[in-house]
Amino acid sequence: MVRWVKRIAAIASSLFLFAFFFCGHPGIAIVGGMMNLIWALDEKLTPRIRRFLRPWVLVFNTAFSAYGVLADGLAILALFLVGSSLLSWNAGFFLERWGETSVTIRYQYLRRIGSLIGFGLFAGLSALVLEGHLMGSFLPAFLLMLAAGILWLQVISKALKSENPG
Amino acid sequence: MTRSWVLVTSLCMILLLAGLLLRNGVLLAIALPYLLFSLIPFWRSVEKPNLVIERRLDPQYLVGGQPCRMTLSVQNVGNGLEEVSLFDLLPAGLGVEGDFTYHGNLRSGQAETFLSILRGVRGKYEFCGVRVLANDLLGMSRCERFVPSPATLAVLPGMERLERLKISPRRTRVYTGAIRSRETGAGVEFFGTRAYVSGDPLRHLNWKAGARWDLLITNLFEQERIADVGIIVDARSIVEVRTNGESLFERSIRAAASLAEYFLREGNRVGLLIYGQMIQWTFPGYGKQQHARILAALAKAELGEHAVFKELQHLPTRLFPSESQIVLVSPLLPGDVPMLRYLRALGYHVLVISPDPIAFEKRLLPQDACTDLAERIACMERDATLSKLRRARVSVVEWDSTVPLNIAMKQARVGIKRWSVG
Repeated sequence: MVRWVKRIAAIASSLFLFAFFFCGHPGIAIVGGMMNLIWALDEKLTPRIRRFLRPWVLVFNTAFSAYGVLADGLAILALFLVGSSLLSWNAGFFLERWGETSVTIRYQYLRRIGSLIGFGLFAGLSALVLEGHLMGSFLPAFLLMLAAGILWLQVISKALKSENPG
Repeated sequence: MTRSWVLVTSLCMILLLAGLLLRNGVLLAIALPYLLFSLIPFWRSVEKPNLVIERRLDPQYLVGGQPCRMTLSVQNVGNGLEEVSLFDLLPAGLGVEGDFTYHGNLRSGQAETFLSILRGVRGKYEFCGVRVLANDLLGMSRCERFVPSPATLAVLPGMERLERLKISPRRTRVYTGAIRSRETGAGVEFFGTRAYVSGDPLRHLNWKAGARWDLLITNLFEQERIADVGIIVDARSIVEVRTNGESLFERSIRAAASLAEYFLREGNRVGLLIYGQMIQWTFPGYGKQQHARILAALAKAELGEHAVFKELQHLPTRLFPSESQIVLVSPLLPGDVPMLRYLRALGYHVLVISPDPIAFEKRLLPQDACTDLAERIACMERDATLSKLRRARVSVVEWDSTVPLNIAMKQARVGIKRWSVG
C-alpha cells in the first residue's frame, strides 16, 4: 500500500517535472524525470544506494521547483511537485524503517502523511490564490487560510505546553 | 530531531529566505508544505520512552559451548509509543542466535518477551542494558534513552574428571583426607612397626615379626589427611602459543579447572593464583563454593604482558602455606627453573603440569626438514629444562595437550614409578 503510494508520488513528481520544464528546459526535465523514475522503482537498488538517493531526490526536486518558479514557470506545478516529492521521500523513509508492517500502522501512517500533505497543498494553494497566481474567489482562500491559522495556533499552543508543562 | 527533520527544515528555510530576498510570493507558498513538516516535532513530539526491561539468563554459569537462554521482558509503563527500536547492547565476543533488535510499536502497558540463545567462549560477560529509540511515524522527531538491564554471564572453562593424582606435601592439615601425612595414626597404608605397648589394638599385632623377634610387635599405619594445595596458572603472554584460533593458555585453564575440581573433591583446601597481567589470588577454601569461586576466577583469566611478571621470580610465595603442595600449570621457559628450585628449597612440594608448546605448534607447521630440525632443537632445549627440574625433585608432567590430561597423568605416574625403581 505505502509502496504504491510512494511509486505513484514519484511518478507524479517526474510527470510534474516533465510538464514543468519540457517547454523551456528539456535537459532538466529529462534528468529530474529519470531520477524520480529510478526512485519510483528503487526496489532493485541496494539499501545503501537507496539511502543515499532518498534525500538527494528531495533536494533536487525542491531545487528544480524553485528554479522553475524563478524561470516564470507555472506556480501550481511547482507546488504539486513539492507535495509529491515530500510524499515519495517520506513514504520511502517509512518503508526503509518498517518494510512490510501491519495494516493498522500503514493506515495510521497514510492518514497522517495524507492530512499533512493535503493541508500543506491547500495552504500553498490558498497562498497562491491570495498572491493572484490562481483564478479563484477570495472566500475559499480565506477559509483555507483560516483553517491553516487554526492549525498554526494549535501547533503553537502544543509547543508551548510541551515547553512549560506546569 | 532527526536528520530528516534537519533536511526538510533546511530546505524550508532556504525557500523562505529566497522568497523574502527575491520578494517572490510563490517561493513562500511552496515553502508551506516543508514548514508543516518541520513543525511536526513541536506539535507531536515523541515522549521519552518509559520502559521496564528485565533480563533473565538461564543458566548464569555455563561451560564453553553450552547454550544459555536469555529472556528479555520489556514492558511499556509510560504512554504508547508509535515506533520504537530496541538495541540490546551485548558484550563483545558473545554469539547470539538471531539478531536481537526489536522494531515496532508499543502501546501503553504492553509487554513483550524476547528469547534468544547465547553462546560464548570462556569469559565473564557483563550486560549493561538496552538502547531505546522512539520515533514518530513520519520520522521527524526522535527520543533516545538507555534502559539498564544488568546481568552477568560467566562462561566457565571446560574440565575433565581426573581419576587419581598422587601428591605428598611435607605438611598436611589436621582433618582426615586422602593424602599420606608421613605420621602414624589411623590409616590404611602400612607405615612401619614398633614394640607393642599396652592399649594398642590387638588386631594390629604383626604375628610374623613377633615370632621372628620373640616380642609383641604392632603394625603402624600412616595417617591420611587433607592438604593445602595452591594452583598457579601461568598467564604470561610470553609463554602463550596460539595457532589457528586454538590457544595453549585455554588448555592450561582447562587443566587448572580439572585439577581444582579433583583436589576439592578429595577434600583439600585449594587456592588459585593467576600469574600474568597482575596477581589474581583466590583465597584457599574447601568445597563446592570454593570450586565455584575458582571457576569464576578462571573464567575471567586473561593473558598479561606486565613487565614485572615477565619472569616467575616475582611469584608471591608467602601466599601459600609453608611446605604445602604447589601445582604450577605452565608451558615453562628455561628461565623459570631457578624460581621452581627456590620453591623446592623453601619446602614446597612442587608439581608442574606442562602443556607441550612444541607438539601444540607443530601440528600446524609444514612437514619439512626445517620444521623437523627446529622441533629437534626446541625439544632438546625443553628436555634440558625439564631434566633440570626433575633433578631438583620437582615432579613434572609433560602434557601433549592434544590428549586428555587424565591420560597424560597416568603415563606420567608410570614414568615416575619406573624412574624411582631404576
